[in-house]
Order: sequence, then C-alpha cells, then structure tokens
Amino acid sequence: MISEELLSIGPDLVVAIGQTFLMLSIALASALFIGGPLGVLLLLTGPGQTLDRPVLHRVLSVIVNLVRSFPFIILLVALVPFTRVIAGTTIGPLAAAVPLSFAAIPYFARLVEQSLREVPRGVIEAAHAMGASDMQIIWKVLILEARSGLVLAATVMSVSFLSYSAVAGVVGGGGIGDLAIRFGYYRFQTDVMVLTVAVLVVLVQIIQWAGSVLARRLDKR
Amino acid sequence: MIQLDQVSKRFATPQGQTFTAVEPTSLQIGAGEIHGIIGFSGAGKSTLLRLINLLEVPSSGRVVVDGKELTALPKSELRTARRNIGMIFQHFNLLHNRTVAGNVAFALEVAGTPRAQINARVKECLEIVGLSDKTDSYPSRLSGGQKQRVAIARALASHPQILLCDEPTSALDPYTTRDILEVLADINARLGVTIVIVSHSMSVVRAICDTISVMDAGNIVERIDLADSVVTPVTEVARKLLDDVPTNVNVRRLNALRAAA
Repeated sequence: MISEELLSIGPDLVVAIGQTFLMLSIALASALFIGGPLGVLLLLTGPGQTLDRPVLHRVLSVIVNLVRSFPFIILLVALVPFTRVIAGTTIGPLAAAVPLSFAAIPYFARLVEQSLREVPRGVIEAAHAMGASDMQIIWKVLILEARSGLVLAATVMSVSFLSYSAVAGVVGGGGIGDLAIRFGYYRFQTDVMVLTVAVLVVLVQIIQWAGSVLARRLDKR
Repeated sequence: MIQLDQVSKRFATPQGQTFTAVEPTSLQIGAGEIHGIIGFSGAGKSTLLRLINLLEVPSSGRVVVDGKELTALPKSELRTARRNIGMIFQHFNLLHNRTVAGNVAFALEVAGTPRAQINARVKECLEIVGLSDKTDSYPSRLSGGQKQRVAIARALASHPQILLCDEPTSALDPYTTRDILEVLADINARLGVTIVIVSHSMSVVRAICDTISVMDAGNIVERIDLADSVVTPVTEVARKLLDDVPTNVNVRRLNALRAAA
C-alpha cells in the first residue's frame, strides 16, 4: 500500500529530479568544455609529448591535484563567496552547479589525460610523418582513437557527480539529495528516503548502461 | 634526392647521461633508387631513417630532401615538406577507429585535399596495393600483410617522391614479406618513388635494394652496391649480416652439444 505521504511527495520529486538534471548538466558541460581541453593540454605538455612544456605541465598538474584534494563538502563551503559572484546567490540548483563544475573540471581533465595516453605513440608519430598539425592530431588521432575510453570516462564522471549533486543538496542546492535529507532524514519519512534512493539507483543504471553501449559501439579496435 | 650532411643524434638518458644513437654521418640517395639501411639492433638504423623526415630532429648536420633543406624550415613548412615523404612502420600504426578508406583519406585530409578529390584518390591508392575489396573494413579485421598494404596506400596518397620504410616486414611471415616487397618494388618501378628501407634482415634488403648502407654503433661502416655481380663485404658486421647465421642452426641441438663438450 502506497502511503498518502508518499503520493503527496510526487510533485516535489519531479521538481527534484529536474533540479538534479540541471546541476548535473551544467557540471558535465563545464567538465566537457573546460576539463576536456585541460586534459588534452595536460597530456600534450607532458614529457616526451608533442608540445613538451615541463613547467606548464607541472603547474597544471599541481592545480588539478589541488582542487581534487578537497573533500567535496569542504569545497562547496569554501567556494561560497565565489559562487555568490558567479550565480548571484548561494542557494538553489544554479548556485550548487558552481562548486559542482569546479570539482568536475579537474576530475574530467585527469580522466581525459589518462584515456588519451592509451593511444599508441606510433600512431601519433605516423600522423606527424604525414605532416599533420597539432590540432589535426588532437581531433583526428587522439580523440578519435580514444573515443570509447572517453565515453566511459564521461560515464564514470556522470555517476560520481550524480552523488556529488546529492551532497550539494545538503547546503540548499535542491535536487534529489535535498529531498532525501529534508523529508527522509529530518522528518523520518523512511519511505521517501527509500524512494529517492531507488530513483538514484535507476538513474545510475541508465547512465552506466547508455555509456557502456555507446562505448562498445564506438570501439572498432 | 636525399642528402644527409654530417647528421648526428644524441639523446639524454633518464640518468642524465647522453647517448649517441647516430654519430655524424653523411649519406646520399639518388632519385628512383631503393636504398637499404641494415644493421643489428641498436645500430642506429631506425634513428637514421627518422632523421630524413625529421621525426627525430638532428643534434647536428643538415638534411636536404628534393633540394629543400628540411633542417632550416620552420614548423609549418616542414609539415608541407613531409607530404612529399611517405612513411610506413613495423607495426603499421593505422587508425583503428577508421576504415581502410578512412585511413588513406586521413593522409589527404591532412594535406588539405578538397573533399571532392579525396574519394577518387583513395580508390586509386587502394587499387595500387590491391585492396579495393577491403575499403570499408576496419583494420582489426585485416591480416598483417593487408594492414601494411593499407599503410603503403596511406603513405602514397599525397603523391610523395620518397617512401621511408621502418622495418616494414619485421612483423610479417616470409611469404607476406615477399608480398610486401613486391608491392614496394612495383611502386618504385611504376611511380618512380625513391625508397629507403630499414631492416635487420639481409635477405629483405637483397631482395629489393640497389644499394645498402651497413650500420654499426651509430656509423655507416660499409656501403654495398648490389649491382656488383659478386658482393664482398669488407667489415665484420657486414659479413655477419650477410651470412644470416643465427637462424640457420638448431639452437637447442647447439646448446646440447655445448653442454656435452
């Protein structure tokens, strides 16, 4: 028997799912468009790579490690002034998207660097021998050859940040995590708690399944 | 066609020492020639080959290809000059996520060939290497010999005058080796492409080359002209390479004999 309380949570749940998607989309987009190029740069500036800029590589690497060292909840709080400048507020999903993006960018950069590193050196060399430019090597060799690994990296990141977005809920970010805390935890509505966890489980399964299928389809090796 | 003037290559080892792969070396290869560079592992033959298209930047000396001094060119002009020098490798180095046709097209895209012309040229190149029926296959579906044919087609796509071959048959069985050498000889005869081929196998270079440079410890120690009716190697290294010794004996029996003695 579904309790009346659980039914009444329906509209809230729909809103929460929407908020979660909003936070996640912004974070993933930032990761893709800022973290992605950063990852490429991390790889190419590394020792023995195409650009080989040891100092720049070390600086980028330290910055990436630094941001990744923060426990997410601390980062969330530490970034409050920055969030206020960017989003104009510190509560709500848009505000929560700021620290989420901040954490997602270096996270994805590392994953991209690792994936691209798997591309055999000989293949890059062959492209150099054909007179390919650095941009052509990035797009037509590195990203092409590593594409299934990149999709899997993005999948792993999506799952991680789905749960990070629930953490953001604690400080008023909204979303599914926020719902779980407010109703399930503070009001002892265990059924609401179970429902939100179930929604998260389903979301994770869908993300992972879609990522795996896409990666397999892209891999012709 | 190819002129190396006192080129050398030194590497810094992780231990902070320098390792000299190629001592100052000069080499001239004429247009339309097939030249072999032969030597044992670590003799510096691959490095010497890679100095020709500046995949390795020489530590000293000049590289002149088709009248252009590559060592004096800025990066962008070097890229253009490289389109005149095709290259194939021991491990083929194909793009696994592109089809056979896509791999050949890559070389043309890099060269800025107009889209409309790419398909026709891809078709031509695959015909030259006899792979017209594999156009839409991915490399993982091909045998080693077929992969090397794709690599050759890719290297020929931008109409190069020179083809550099880095151990092109070392990953192939003897019959496939023969096959690939025939393709290379055919390209040389029909298109007049100058070929430089690095190998540790004397039988490979003898099967195809006009002239041979024998390398040892970073130096060219001997030059052999295969047009001579009798080839008489002067150096110890050349003699050893010419004998093809190690594979002619049963190693296990040899060990047993040694143990018994």
